[in-house]
Amino acid sequence: MLSNSEKHLQVRGTEINYYFICKTKLWLFSHNIQMEQESESVSMGKQLHKKSYGREKKDFTIDNLISVDFIRRGETLELHEVKKSSKMEDAHRYQLLYYMYYLKKEKGIQNIIGFIDYPKLRKKEKVELTESEEKSLEGIIEGIGQIVHGTISKPEKKKICRKCAYYEFCWV
Amino acid sequence: MKKNYYLMSDGLLKRKENTLYFVNKDGKKPIPINKIYSIYAYGSLTFSSQSVHLLAKEGIPIHFFNYYGFYDGSFYPRETLLSGDLLVKQVEHYLNPGKRLWIAKKFIEGAAGNMEKVLGYYHVQNGIGKTVKDLTLSSNVTEAMNVEARMRSEYYSKMDEILPDGFKMEGRSRRPPENMVNALISFGNSMVYSTVISEIYNTQLNPTISYLHEPFERRYSLALDLSEMFKPILVDRLIFYMVNKRMLTEDDFEQKVDYCILNDGGRKKFIKEYDERLKKTIKHRELNRKVSYRRLIRLEAYKLIKHILGTQEYKPFVMWW
Amino acid sequence: MYVIIVYDINVDRVNKVKSFLRTHLHWIQNSVFEGEVTKSEFEEIKDGLKDIINKDEDSVILYTMRSEKALKRKVLGVEKAPIGGIL
Repeated sequence: MLSNSEKHLQVRGTEINYYFICKTKLWLFSHNIQMEQESESVSMGKQLHKKSYGREKKDFTIDNLISVDFIRRGETLELHEVKKSSKMEDAHRYQLLYYMYYLKKEKGIQNIIGFIDYPKLRKKEKVELTESEEKSLEGIIEGIGQIVHGTISKPEKKKICRKCAYYEFCWV
Repeated sequence: MKKNYYLMSDGLLKRKENTLYFVNKDGKKPIPINKIYSIYAYGSLTFSSQSVHLLAKEGIPIHFFNYYGFYDGSFYPRETLLSGDLLVKQVEHYLNPGKRLWIAKKFIEGAAGNMEKVLGYYHVQNGIGKTVKDLTLSSNVTEAMNVEARMRSEYYSKMDEILPDGFKMEGRSRRPPENMVNALISFGNSMVYSTVISEIYNTQLNPTISYLHEPFERRYSLALDLSEMFKPILVDRLIFYMVNKRMLTEDDFEQKVDYCILNDGGRKKFIKEYDERLKKTIKHRELNRKVSYRRLIRLEAYKLIKHILGTQEYKPFVMWW
Repeated sequence: MYVIIVYDINVDRVNKVKSFLRTHLHWIQNSVFEGEVTKSEFEEIKDGLKDIINKDEDSVILYTMRSEKALKRKVLGVEKAPIGGIL
């Protein structure tokens, strides 16, 4: 058994995001039952991402686990995530915090700051990885592990379901 | 939004950069690659490997039919939707005789329900409901299959009450179909089978692991399983509709001493109506949104996945309208 | 939604525009494409065109309607490329 400090992080950024949105979706996604490929709102998101920030280097993927929308390198490393609306703030914030945490723990990169960009709202939010955020993240990662290794939970019907890529799957 | 393309004439599928062309004796026609859901090839089709690369990249299957219009095989692009966990559970439900039988019976019940709906629409009394009750006595899949066979022959025997004179079925003949109605059923069933393959391709289900049919019967036996429920609504209803409206006549068939098949003109007419039917929408009660008939097949696959994962017991599709 | 696109493009770029549109829409006749698209596909088409054209020289007009049902079309003379999935 590896101790926590020796274990590599295995969680994907999307899983952090889904943890806040829906446990059923998280379970399905992590068991590779994915539905995003035909979803109109997912394609809209991709399209938004493609056309905003055209000059930046986009889609920065590391170890197949994390995929940052774009980065800027200077004295500090800037990670940017582009989002449509600020409705799911916690989901977005912790996804980005996880990327920062991952780069710090796995790659030894210091001096990272994160930004969530909302081009449609012309808004930008700065995100910093503090010690207490690290603690919360560790709790989230553990929580994800429990959900993924447990049995799939029944979905709860929420307002956001109608736009979800898994809507038909869950409610048929 | 994406649609099926039916290539009826002999021709060549080729690619220039990212454009796909179908070239036949009438000329060269571009097909928008982003709009293709599946291709059904009825003529003799020649294609370049470049065009296959493009179709594979976009995840577009091609279904091939032989001279007689019967299913020959599919180009099933490399799967991108793979889930090892689901596969293991899909197999487990096959290997466990009780679990397998349970699903097999549900498929038969679904098929029976839809057959009754089709006959009921034309006010034809029948004993399908009574026959299907015998499923409770079936203790293995072979016995369940026997019930299915009895129910089906009851169904086919009632079809002649709906069909006009000159278009009677007089019993089901398969290989080869001996008259016009049999030709239509065979042709239509091949189409449904291919349509179901395309739907399964777009899910994480493995198309070769089935419950009602044996996995070694044909390659995509899960598509055979799911087809049973959709044949009455997609094929039989369509045949009654077209034949009773005189949309199909003797001129649409090639009649030989020992077989009968749809000719080119007949196939085009049938396919046009079939495709319309796939696109037709109904309001889905649970989802509270409109879904197409084609999408109903996908939803059936989703329900099966949920059953296999243990989140929701499978209830087969029976027309509710 | 349903979209009809007509264009007038400098000869240096016209083939690029044509082959791009061919991947999403049906060619109707010279300089005209149309077809059913989703919102995201419409965005993709717009962005793709913006990348190709020179906005000082070229002209593209996109007509959109809620669905094909909102459209009445009548062809006089030759219908150069009938739309339809049966070929």
